Amino acid sequence: MESEDKRYLYDDDTAAPDLSNKQLNHLAWRSLLLQASFNYERMQAAGWVYSLIPGLRHIHKNKKDLSKSMKDHMEFFNTHPFLVTFIMGIILAMEQKKEDREAIRGIKVATMGPLGGIGDALFFLTLLPITAGIGASLAIEGNVLGPIIFLVMFNVVHFGVRFGLMKYGYKTGVKAIAKLKEGTRHVSRAASIVGLSVVGGLIATYVSFDIGYKWVSGEAELNVQTDILDMIMPALLPLAYTLLMYWLLKKGRSPIMLIGLTVVVGLLGAYFKIL
Amino acid sequence: MLVQALLIALWAGIAGVDMFNGLTHIHRPIVTGLVVGIILGDVTTGLFIGGTLELIWMGMVPLAGAQPPNVVIGGVIGTAFGIIAGQDPAAAIGVAIPFAVAVQGLITLFFTIFAPIMHKADSYALDGNYRGIERINYLGITILFVFYALIAFLPIFFGAEKAAAFVETVPEWIIAGLSVAGGIMPAIGFAMLLKIMMKVEYVMFFIVGFILAAYMNLPILAIALIGLAIALYDFYQNKNKPDPNGPGPREEEITDGI
Repeated sequence: MESEDKRYLYDDDTAAPDLSNKQLNHLAWRSLLLQASFNYERMQAAGWVYSLIPGLRHIHKNKKDLSKSMKDHMEFFNTHPFLVTFIMGIILAMEQKKEDREAIRGIKVATMGPLGGIGDALFFLTLLPITAGIGASLAIEGNVLGPIIFLVMFNVVHFGVRFGLMKYGYKTGVKAIAKLKEGTRHVSRAASIVGLSVVGGLIATYVSFDIGYKWVSGEAELNVQTDILDMIMPALLPLAYTLLMYWLLKKGRSPIMLIGLTVVVGLLGAYFKIL
Repeated sequence: MLVQALLIALWAGIAGVDMFNGLTHIHRPIVTGLVVGIILGDVTTGLFIGGTLELIWMGMVPLAGAQPPNVVIGGVIGTAFGIIAGQDPAAAIGVAIPFAVAVQGLITLFFTIFAPIMHKADSYALDGNYRGIERINYLGITILFVFYALIAFLPIFFGAEKAAAFVETVPEWIIAGLSVAGGIMPAIGFAMLLKIMMKVEYVMFFIVGFILAAYMNLPILAIALIGLAIALYDFYQNKNKPDPNGPGPREEEITDGI
């Protein structure tokens, strides 16, 4: 980030007035478009900024500060699309108190990964199978209520969580910050510690990169992935590839080039039946 | 047929948008079955096929980056052909799956192509031009809508056989390759996070997080809690110590690699 401004503070450091419930609800509605501009470089970042815009405009009357905060929030972001409002609430509370921008980023990164995992488990692996299972069993018998019951059950939980967490996150954020105000440096350091452990875990969990190639010689069969690579270290290739990407980014290569490279790797791997 | 194909296309567009935005889950086959059934005038069959497809897609959850066949196109095409051709759900799935797999490949491609637009969004952010960022999001939704509507319209309007023959001309390795690339792609996002956050003093926590997931298969929440425990320990150990960087308020920034 070759920011022309090396400081991580906002120009105007007076706290902004509180956001009203009406404003928080408006922001929760906007969070429905979190993934409108989803892409592999920043994932939900532009949709995240979209969701925050009215809040950020309320908080940052100084135009330079508004652009700083929007620029920060354009960085990579990815979390669960329902639980995102909790992070929005906390981040808006921090923005409102004009916290250190590095601390804001740290909290954002530290919360998005775990909430992503919790959300998948809660909504896509639990709520969806239960409600859709009930609905589908009715639908198969020709009952029109099947789809309707599914939609009602699913969305009562969905919208309850989305709007409830917006307010809960905001109130939690305001309270927690008041307590921790004196130690932003410590908070920022703590956020980095949690954030980087989470990123380490995310690489092993969410990058899927397996060699499908089996080396066959007579009776003997050698599975390169399970017999060699996994023996050296599990998730070896995801880690190696991520570090390669990290190194290329530090060398000044653009993310677009890395995405192109990854597509080529996938296509070559599939063509030669290696991956 | 034209009116019905257009209505189904409209529904596919709405459902395709809902899959990523809104997430009210009207895009699931169970709902699509009812809607397509109403459009084609056979609600009972629509519900039956929609319910059956729902149970099939229920097991296909996007985990660890592997994308399942596209649920929207699978539901729309499956139900439509099931009703039009009077096929049983199993055969309808046979028609729907190749489309659903191909569409997921195209979605991967779209998420790749949309990446450069983020640099436009960066410059809007720098100018404080929030309307520009809003427009980029509306553009994304519009493209998704048109894409899904077209993909649903063409095979229904021109007939399944022609469409299926066309899908099969795309070599299998291209679709498989796009799906493999989609699985690796999160690495780039994580590398960008590392570039922002990594400092030498934090490398150990990164290693711990990786080991907990790779060797011990701990869920991300557990890793976050362990990270939090370390951070709390670190916090209370250092709280009362004098600042090692001296009184200068933000000296660490000089050494960081950002």
